[in-house]
Amino acid sequence: MIPTAWFLILSAMLFAIGVCGVLTRKNGITIFMSIELMVNAVNLTFLAYAREFHQLHGLIFVLFIMAIAAAEAAVGLAIFINLFHHRETIDVDEANLMHW
Amino acid sequence: MIEFAVFFFFAAVAVIFALVVVLHRNPVVGALSLVASFFALAVMYVLLDAPFLAALQVIVYAGAIMVLFLFVIMLLNLQYQREEPTRPIQQFLGYFGSAAFGVSLVYYISKYAVIASGPKTRFVTSAKTIGIRLFEAYILPFEMVSILLLAAIVGALVLTSKAAGKQVTE
Repeated sequence: MIPTAWFLILSAMLFAIGVCGVLTRKNGITIFMSIELMVNAVNLTFLAYAREFHQLHGLIFVLFIMAIAAAEAAVGLAIFINLFHHRETIDVDEANLMHW
Repeated sequence: MIEFAVFFFFAAVAVIFALVVVLHRNPVVGALSLVASFFALAVMYVLLDAPFLAALQVIVYAGAIMVLFLFVIMLLNLQYQREEPTRPIQQFLGYFGSAAFGVSLVYYISKYAVIASGPKTRFVTSAKTIGIRLFEAYILPFEMVSILLLAAIVGALVLTSKAAGKQVTE
């Protein structure tokens, strides 16, 4: 059996890469994809611990996270389409209407 | 032994394609790399004895959600838009901060080895056991998620409809 810590290390690496994408990129869609990457890293952690402690709760939590990620993707991409229609770009720095 | 080989190969695939998502300038390449990364993660789920969730990962994430992303990227023709680089200080802080975060996370997980060995017995979960638990103990969250999905559909329709755009411009 593969040790649980290895899955946790993989998950930590994927999460850090996602954080890097959110912090350094300006393209809204790429930032969104980085967030999906972080969500998946958390899913992997849930499953690793579910196997470790023989609990079903982790798996069901992953199921709910997937449903919520789908809802989030639908609304988020609708927001980006709207932003593109108004600003002709999805650069997140251009969305500064509420900037003081 | 073959289990470990599969783990290391697909872990490398997942990390490399995740790096491509973050570093590549073209969002179409990024989206396709993210699909590859999700496939590698589905293999991880199989290694974790959760074949049902691996199937869901491929169908829902790599299938539905990423097709939605690709659809929007191609609808808006984003692959031709040049992305301006962020300010150097932001670049530096972003790369340095996330690298420090990742390295420290990996260091502490491996140093204190949260759980250094795998469980002794297998815990294979089928769709049946998950379904029974989902509709018995988790029926309220399940219904709440269905309402959330309905709200997401309505929200996406309202946001992208012609009337919403007019209201903002008027």
